[in-house]
Amino acid sequence: MSNSFIIGQYVPGDSFIHRLDPRTKIAIIFTFVIVVFLANSVASYGLLTAFSIGSALLTRIKLSYIAKGLTPVWFLIVFTFILHLIVTKDGEVLFQIASYPIYSGAIIQGAAISLRFFLLILVTSLLTLTTTPIEITDAIETLLGPLKKIKFPVHELALMMSISLRFIPTLMQETEKISKAQASRGVDFKTGPIRDRVQAVVPLLVPLFVSAFKRAEELAMAMEARGYQGGEGRTKLRELKIEGRDLFVISLFLLIIIGLVMTRA
Amino acid sequence: MDISFKNVSYIYQPNTPFEHRALQNLSFDIKSGSYVAIVGHTGSGKSTLLQHLNGLLRPTDGQVQIGNFTLSPDEKLKNVMDLRKKVGVVFQYPEHQLFEETVAKDIGFGPKNFGEAEQEINKRLYEVIEAVQLPESLLERSPFDLSGGQMRRVAIAGVLAMAPEVLVLDEPTAGLDPRGQKDMMDMFYQLHKQKGLTTILVTHSMEDALRYADHVIILNKGTKYMEGTPLDVFTRKQELNEVQLDIPEIIEFLNKVEKRFAINLSYQGQSLAEVAQQVVEKLKGKNYE
Repeated sequence: MSNSFIIGQYVPGDSFIHRLDPRTKIAIIFTFVIVVFLANSVASYGLLTAFSIGSALLTRIKLSYIAKGLTPVWFLIVFTFILHLIVTKDGEVLFQIASYPIYSGAIIQGAAISLRFFLLILVTSLLTLTTTPIEITDAIETLLGPLKKIKFPVHELALMMSISLRFIPTLMQETEKISKAQASRGVDFKTGPIRDRVQAVVPLLVPLFVSAFKRAEELAMAMEARGYQGGEGRTKLRELKIEGRDLFVISLFLLIIIGLVMTRA
Repeated sequence: MDISFKNVSYIYQPNTPFEHRALQNLSFDIKSGSYVAIVGHTGSGKSTLLQHLNGLLRPTDGQVQIGNFTLSPDEKLKNVMDLRKKVGVVFQYPEHQLFEETVAKDIGFGPKNFGEAEQEINKRLYEVIEAVQLPESLLERSPFDLSGGQMRRVAIAGVLAMAPEVLVLDEPTAGLDPRGQKDMMDMFYQLHKQKGLTTILVTHSMEDALRYADHVIILNKGTKYMEGTPLDVFTRKQELNEVQLDIPEIIEFLNKVEKRFAINLSYQGQSLAEVAQQVVEKLKGKNYE
């Protein structure tokens, strides 16, 4: 369990980005994921990069922390770049590495795709870094609200999401606890031949499943005992509310999209 | 095995917003064969300390010495398996670690991992099942069919079957009924005496610390707050109250009796009922007119 992996990890804070309505954030990120593919010039990429880095700065989370957390993704980004260097054969030959020609088009395209990839990951991880899982599910529930008309179980889906999100840390803790207990009984999870290591997982998985089932049963009972009966007529403790800053951010983002279309090559 | 902590600090997730200092410059010594209670409020660093005892964690700073094994910040312990064989840890709610098809297999799991011979494991099986006071008829049952208390005993038997020299207990009686709690603590004490174990008990219970330990270490916010024999520590009520701990009921009672009737009784491991008897006798001897 790598503690440095930050995708899906919420960092509490009170920054401008933290206080945005989760629906605003989701809508913007969803659109961002699409418009990233519009960029095809230096200016348009510059605009998107400025937007992403600017938002990252506004979260007031240390950039070094964000960068470190994206470590596993760096590998993919670099890999994409190298793949482009090898495969793409556009433009003129710039230089040769061990008699293998590197084309100018390859560098440009590799850089563009890697940058695009990086921006996607950065912006989407900003969502989970600044929004609690509960806020995200609340937002998804309202955003998917119209689907109720075609009898899509939106509330149940949101409930399932929030329950799973709620229990991820619990299960992680449980895994850590049990693996420590088994390690104390001489299980070696980290060294030895693959076969042994696969077998070492059994003493970990069995107790984990047993406790997960037990937990699910207890939760279901506790919910029933408190009269839970689903979406209809249920009120909310935290009402989502669109405020001035949300409108401001949305208009700013629209301007960026317009700018993007205009700076396209 | 002698155990010593020298200026040990431990930090969880260093250099992140979640950085958390669990232990701070902690030093103490535990003599081989002693029974030590480690007491502290939730979050005082007890569990972190415990995980250093069999090399699950390495100190971020300082040094831990357990017998011939040394845990230091920059060097991985090569023979960590040998250390874990000698230090048996009973975690909180140890029944969560059961997984085998039968009780016998689960108890034999530890020793098997440490490479004990089949014959030796079988021999130990009967020893430990008796030590934890379970009937042999349970050996072929599934551990998941047992009651909570029985499961706990099976899990403890699994640790004892490793034949450790040091036994580390993390709140071993949490969630048991009062009778079960006393039985279990008495059982550990008996094992401690019989096998000459070094026992380290992590607990909330001042009563247990007073009754069983020869040495008490009080932790507060990752540092050592107090240390000494139970009687030494538990006469310092004021200081204990400052860290949301209290002295054991029985000591409190003796103090109050002394104040009210000017009767001086010292604590020598009596139960509350015996103390009451002594008070009655002393009072009878006095003349109130």
